Amino acid sequence: MANIISFLVLLILGYVFGQWAERRHFKFIQHRERLLKNILCFNVKTLPSYDTAPDVELVVGNVVISIDYFKRIAAGLNNIFGGRVSSYESLVERARREAILRMKLNAKERGASMIFNVKLETASIYKGNGQQVGSVEVYAYGTALIDNH
Amino acid sequence: MSYENRDIPEGINVSKIHPIKEFAWLAGGLIILVILAVLVLSVLAEKFASYIPFALEQKVALPIASRFQDDHPLSTDQAYIKDYLQSLAAVLAENQGLPEGMEVSVHYVDDSTVNALATLGGHIVIFKGILQIMPHENALSMVMAHEIAHIKHRDPIVSLGRGLTVYLALLSLVGLSDHGALEQMFSQTGLLTMLSFSREQESAADREAMLTLQRHYGHVEGAAALFEHIEKEEKEDKTPSFFQSHPHPRHRIETIRRYSQSLGDSADKQLTRIPERIQQLIKT
Repeated sequence: MANIISFLVLLILGYVFGQWAERRHFKFIQHRERLLKNILCFNVKTLPSYDTAPDVELVVGNVVISIDYFKRIAAGLNNIFGGRVSSYESLVERARREAILRMKLNAKERGASMIFNVKLETASIYKGNGQQVGSVEVYAYGTALIDNH
Repeated sequence: MSYENRDIPEGINVSKIHPIKEFAWLAGGLIILVILAVLVLSVLAEKFASYIPFALEQKVALPIASRFQDDHPLSTDQAYIKDYLQSLAAVLAENQGLPEGMEVSVHYVDDSTVNALATLGGHIVIFKGILQIMPHENALSMVMAHEIAHIKHRDPIVSLGRGLTVYLALLSLVGLSDHGALEQMFSQTGLLTMLSFSREQESAADREAMLTLQRHYGHVEGAAALFEHIEKEEKEDKTPSFFQSHPHPRHRIETIRRYSQSLGDSADKQLTRIPERIQQLIKT
């Protein structure tokens, strides 16, 4: 009985705080995406040709986001029945956008306005007893082109 | 060459289903599946448990029975009561036609609890409390024959099989690696009284008991005496726990009366008294 109660409490807490944190995070992401709109990201490898060799530098951004209890249980249910694991979809989406934003911020600090060859690495952190994913890391990196003209 | 990043529409990477709605669907589906699986398993267990050889059942029950005997040592007088009950059970078992290899051993507990029970391995436990309210041997024989019928019908092993199967199924579902729980369950003498029989099993045992009494005494007079007593007690709201899982005493009395009428009243309906010595011993 105590197990069931603690499970339900965790589930409700996970849902309330998880949803609240996610909504807040998405708003925060959208706000900063507008602010950093002038820093452009591309996945092409080749830089634009200039008369003189431009300054380039590696810029990186990474983030680790944890999954809440509700999402973990919901994902567990998805594991049984299959289908889109919607609770992870929003998690990974947040992590990707946050990582890119941090990389852009890194580029901005260096006075860059364009990042080329942008790549994303994803890793899951903490695989416990049941191999369940606890949190996700996204690492964004690229070649920033620094304006020195 | 000019470069630009176009705006990406918001929310294209995330499913639009509401998390609670999806959760409710999946959890509901899972619960229904689990309930169905447990039902199927318990029906199968009930079906197959009666194919377990009685000898094996006796082997399983042996440690529990010996521990039970150690926990309830009998004085000479109590052993005398036990012997009387055992001999009564032997006669009734013969009249009931227990299959080959099946035997009944009766245990007596000097306790005022109004209870009698049948459990694994052909063990029957009779409490002093139930003896004290017996007006005559016919009523006692009805209870005894009822418990013997449970053993004949393999009710204890069916009940245990069902219980264990459901328990194991739920345990494996929860994924507990707690093997101790199962051992603990087996080792408890509480297992003796934990077995619960269904209403159908109880009614079947009642019918079997009536046939036995008919064969033994030539009539079923007095078989309902205990239930009449219970019904009276019930009006004063003093139902002994033993009778809660059983059919209502009213129904049992009526069934016995109907059966008695169907036999006609040609036979000499003499009631047998409980031996004087036994009556003396259980008085206190």
